[in-house]
Amino acid sequence: MWKAVKDREAGFLLPSSFATRIRSHRVASLDLSNHKEIVSPHNGAINSLQVDLTEERYLLSGSSDGSAAVYDIQHATDYERGLIAKHKSLFVVDKQHNHGHRYAISTAVWYPVDTGLFITGSFDHYIKVWDTNTTQVVMDFKMPGKVYRTAMSSIATTHMLIAAGSTDVQVRLCDIASGAFTHTLSGHRDGVMSLEWSTSSEWILVTGGCDGAIRFWDIRRAGCFRVLDQARSQLGRRPLAESTSKKGSVTGQSSSAKSMVSQRRIPLGNETKQLRALHKSQHLPRGPVVQRLHPGLSSTHNRAVAHYGAVTGLRATGDGMYLLSSGSDSRLRLWDVDSGYNTLVNFEAMRLQPTKALQLAVTQDSSLVFVPCLSTVKAYDVQSGMTFRTFCGHYELVNCCCLSSQDQELYTGSNDRQILVWSPASPVIAEVEEGKGGWVSVADQDNWSD
Amino acid sequence: MAAETSRSFGKKRARDEESVLDKGDADGTLGLENNLTLSDTLIALQMMRAQFPNIEKVAMQPFILRSQLYSSVNDRTQVDRDLESLKEEKVLRLFKLNTGQDDHAIMFLDDYLKQVALAVKRLEIKNQQDIEVFEWFKKYVIETKLDVSIDHQELCSLLSCGGEVKDKHVTLLISAGLLNRQLIDPNMYWFTIPNIGSILKGLSQGRKELLSFLNRRKFKEMLLAPLEKKQLRFSPLDMRFHLRDLIGSGHLKTVQTPTGLLVRVSKD
Repeated sequence: MWKAVKDREAGFLLPSSFATRIRSHRVASLDLSNHKEIVSPHNGAINSLQVDLTEERYLLSGSSDGSAAVYDIQHATDYERGLIAKHKSLFVVDKQHNHGHRYAISTAVWYPVDTGLFITGSFDHYIKVWDTNTTQVVMDFKMPGKVYRTAMSSIATTHMLIAAGSTDVQVRLCDIASGAFTHTLSGHRDGVMSLEWSTSSEWILVTGGCDGAIRFWDIRRAGCFRVLDQARSQLGRRPLAESTSKKGSVTGQSSSAKSMVSQRRIPLGNETKQLRALHKSQHLPRGPVVQRLHPGLSSTHNRAVAHYGAVTGLRATGDGMYLLSSGSDSRLRLWDVDSGYNTLVNFEAMRLQPTKALQLAVTQDSSLVFVPCLSTVKAYDVQSGMTFRTFCGHYELVNCCCLSSQDQELYTGSNDRQILVWSPASPVIAEVEEGKGGWVSVADQDNWSD
Repeated sequence: MAAETSRSFGKKRARDEESVLDKGDADGTLGLENNLTLSDTLIALQMMRAQFPNIEKVAMQPFILRSQLYSSVNDRTQVDRDLESLKEEKVLRLFKLNTGQDDHAIMFLDDYLKQVALAVKRLEIKNQQDIEVFEWFKKYVIETKLDVSIDHQELCSLLSCGGEVKDKHVTLLISAGLLNRQLIDPNMYWFTIPNIGSILKGLSQGRKELLSFLNRRKFKEMLLAPLEKKQLRFSPLDMRFHLRDLIGSGHLKTVQTPTGLLVRVSKD
């Protein structure tokens, strides 16, 4: 590492690549932390974890017993034997709270601008916006079904909409500023289990439903503009482009991402006589009416599925180029956001829990993805699909994982009610001794020779 | 063998494949251990096609499961991409099976057409009307729709290139075993391999039997060489088929030991 510092000083190494190198070294050495522990006050499975986006100092957790708690992950509340930092929760809001949730909390997210507010969504059909300092509910929204996921865009400057996915087929956008629902997005045929705002545009929302479809919505317009189809794929990073049209194949699927519903499929061996006959005898036994649509919008009748089963987790990479989706068919797929194609990267055999929503995590440079697989967390290389590491530590199914990009620490929450911290290999602490304010490591103390 | 050479691209490749296939058949006696992993998807496919067991009761063309391919070739992403390009080139076809969450069967196009012809012949003996729909299906639908499923609108519009399509034509296709209705959506059909039902039942029973056999052992593991020689009671497919399939889908894993490969039930 010191050589890298000298190189940066001399100008051989760019500061940004120096930082990336250090970060990826640290992420590669992640292991169960031997110096940090989070004391979880929850009595139920941990469903959601999020580190705040402004200072990456506070961790918010939501659990199945209706409680949400916040921990300070940078400063420990006390030290056990001077070596292990224990982080207790700063506060807990649970069923005893007079406005607390009554059933399990499925999602807890921070307000992206600052840590003054956080939003929880629960199976009791409510989404509550809490004031962190007074731990009081500021606003609540009643949804028509159990809330599976809420999300707020971290790059939004003109709106503060909470996107909420529930067992109802419609995705609702709730506005904190006005306290009302601003949008209702219809198109899914079953509940919506995972939601994610795009990392490149504040107006684009990606939703994954229990019907297996992933839809892209631009909230400034009605309807979704893209549905991801696992059958349309590209080999590698750029699309296959015009090979399908070169063969003159029938399918009306154009290679452009914003495909319009084809009005009529032109058959092979096209002859005008046949076409005329086709038009005449065009009473097909059954079938939906061909809809007229605005250009650029995708039909609600578009039945393309991204997974054989429900889409349980979505995560967009930080650069906005790729989207990762996990499904209850135990597959993880990587999609190219630009073209909307499946990149066919095969993430090695994994068994994912099919019934619950998962929270995936991606490193900042989009090189590794952390996926909760049953009771372990597996790290895969995003572009090649090879397993990088397997983190075994939990006793039961892992539901959520969250990577703090500043400290390169991974937090995982599972059904065994524990939040585990995985941190990079820390330097060996030589000795500790009792100081004025409790145990303090010798390395931190001044050591002047007189 | 002639069929294989006619399918390959170029003379040199044909020669290579022939030699590999000959070796492959000989290796069949040597066992799974020596040729568990290969580097090329097409070669792996052809080798496994040659090793498909001969089932007496059912006339079945060889098919390969996707999980078998994953266990035979190292890089899974490359397998997926190769399958996609082979599918586009119409060398083979993929079918989704109902025996598991993500089971797919791969069949070479010639074998599939042979299987379809057999099914059509069987149906022809029973009734003579409306068989032209099979010709339309073969000519228009199979050639153009390369996916695993098709929706009703598209099916009818493709079939109507041959002539007027009625409900009973579609019913005939379903009864012949070429299409199957999707459970979640009445307007979508899966493409299926006709007459594969009993073999699929044997597949799931064989999987269960093999896994339970290994689970009953003291350490849930066994050396590959003696394991391969065992016969499964409930499945018409041979042990090598099931081993490849379970290793590829992650239920079993192989460990290298000084005495050879060891097969172990994977814990997670």
